[in-house]
Amino acid sequence: MHAIKAVFRKELIDGFRDRRALLTAFLFPAFAPILIYGLIYAIVNLSSDAENLKVSVINPEAAPALIQYLQEKGVEITPFEGNAEQAVRDKKQEYILEIPEDYQQRLREFKTAIVPIIHDSSRSDTRNPVRRLRTLIRTYNGSLSALRLIARGVSPLVIQGVVSGNQDIASEEQRLISIFNMVPLYIMLAAFIAGMGLAVDSTAGERERKSLEPLLVNPVLRLHLIQGKWLAASFYAAIGMISTMLLSLIAMLYAPLDDIGFVFSISIEQIILLILATLPLPFLATSLEMLLGIFAKSFKDAQSYIGLVTLMPTLPFIIHTFNPVPIQDWMYAIPVFGQYLLMTEVLGAVELHWLAYLSSGVSCLLLSVLLCMLTSRLLAREAVITG
Amino acid sequence: MIEIDNISKRFGEIQAIKKVSLQAANGKITGLLGPNGAGKSTALRVLYGLLKPDEGKVTVDGTDVFHQRPEAQRKMGVLPDAHGLYGRLTAREHISYFGRLHGVAENELGNQADELIRLLDMQSIADRRTEGFSQGERMKVCLARALIHRPGNVVLDEPTNGLDVMTTRKVRELMLELKARDITVLFSSHLMHEVARLCDEIIIIAAGTVVAEGTTAEIRDIAGEDNLEDAFVRLSEGESR
Repeated sequence: MHAIKAVFRKELIDGFRDRRALLTAFLFPAFAPILIYGLIYAIVNLSSDAENLKVSVINPEAAPALIQYLQEKGVEITPFEGNAEQAVRDKKQEYILEIPEDYQQRLREFKTAIVPIIHDSSRSDTRNPVRRLRTLIRTYNGSLSALRLIARGVSPLVIQGVVSGNQDIASEEQRLISIFNMVPLYIMLAAFIAGMGLAVDSTAGERERKSLEPLLVNPVLRLHLIQGKWLAASFYAAIGMISTMLLSLIAMLYAPLDDIGFVFSISIEQIILLILATLPLPFLATSLEMLLGIFAKSFKDAQSYIGLVTLMPTLPFIIHTFNPVPIQDWMYAIPVFGQYLLMTEVLGAVELHWLAYLSSGVSCLLLSVLLCMLTSRLLAREAVITG
Repeated sequence: MIEIDNISKRFGEIQAIKKVSLQAANGKITGLLGPNGAGKSTALRVLYGLLKPDEGKVTVDGTDVFHQRPEAQRKMGVLPDAHGLYGRLTAREHISYFGRLHGVAENELGNQADELIRLLDMQSIADRRTEGFSQGERMKVCLARALIHRPGNVVLDEPTNGLDVMTTRKVRELMLELKARDITVLFSSHLMHEVARLCDEIIIIAAGTVVAEGTTAEIRDIAGEDNLEDAFVRLSEGESR
């Protein structure tokens, strides 16, 4: 035990003084809230009508009723003259609404009046305003048609067979839910990234700086050496993960979610459950990284292998997002996936049986211990010294 | 007391050492002399428990190195072939770390470290991080951390390799000091004059086998040369041919 403690203590100090590794480890938690807040902010603002539409219109005098309707809906109208297509192509105008000369005449003859919107659909920044403008015109068309029917003594409901409600809001909600799923992904990535520097430095790094041989001549079991290093790397990984978690949750609490009628709240109990659910993850992450680290001959070598390991936490996210399977009890026992499930469910305020926490925690820690044992076996190979 | 009995070690096609035996006694300095690639480091790595011999056995004060590795390692202070340090730790932290790995009690750690720091004349660098240390300063840290648990047997793999005159002299003083304390000192070198000046016993190894052993005078007699260096060259070449 004294050896595990000695190694743990030394690696903790060494890790703390490695400013570069520390910076990369904690840059990630620092960016998490900014990214999450930014994404939510962007989605909320794209969907809300808070910002006024500004529309350039060719020949606005030809359709005073339509223009007035748009203005009532908060659209700013600017008259435009000249070559509309060229102006959009040159990015002088974002999009242009054209009222044809025969607009009034066609309306009088009860023909369809077409008002083209000239825009460039390959530009993602104008896609949303154009969509909103089109929706407004469609609504205007609806009320105009209704008036025509009423004038003929027909109820406008006759032509409204099936109507879908809240179409836009639904898609925004979905996008927000994908952000809610991103938070667990981010937390898991943090667990895999924050301890990586120390995990690699204390394995591949030892080989590279030729300090492994002097270390191994000490009367210490290889397993104890690995355990000390593992606990130290896991300590940093856990701090990185928990700070990412807390900062992400704070970002979600302060994000303008209620602007679109979405309520996010979290209780202390939920936070404790989240930490409990995810705490085995850093241990698994660092044990895996150390195993690869001991395989590698140099720091650089190790980093290229370990880049692949950080993809691991994205797997449950991808499976869960693109191919949602019905959750069964045994699935909690799949390391990484189990933690992911627990997180999404705790965030969604789903009450869970304590067995779910126990099985996911035990299986994850068991796998990490096995990986550590494997690593210590590799450390006993003669090739570690001679190769 | 270190006893190496008939050890052999093969790496694939290469027979690194073949039936090497030697004894190093307490209160004596034993030199393992040989050209580069003769198998000195392999023999020592088997001795300090990092390589498993294909045959033969090694005991340190009667403890079998292979079957009771930690116990045997506790009885040895080792300067291995590799001299890597942790650049972000100070010299003193290196010494304490190895002391703790050996189970040296916390209340003794400070005093023992201070004694070694004085002995190796490294007071001015003791609390500096080892990053940027010179070759000689690094060697002192390696020696100090190897001796922190007061071992009865000291094994040094090329302790003076690449050092300047001042540090080399310090290392030699250290070995004589250890000898005076009745400690077993076994060290390897490819430098003839160093071995001739320091050692009580010399073992010459070439192409993986022991070609001669004895005191300085005895080696000279075996080779039939007055000069030890000529004796060394003749013995090594005889084996390679």
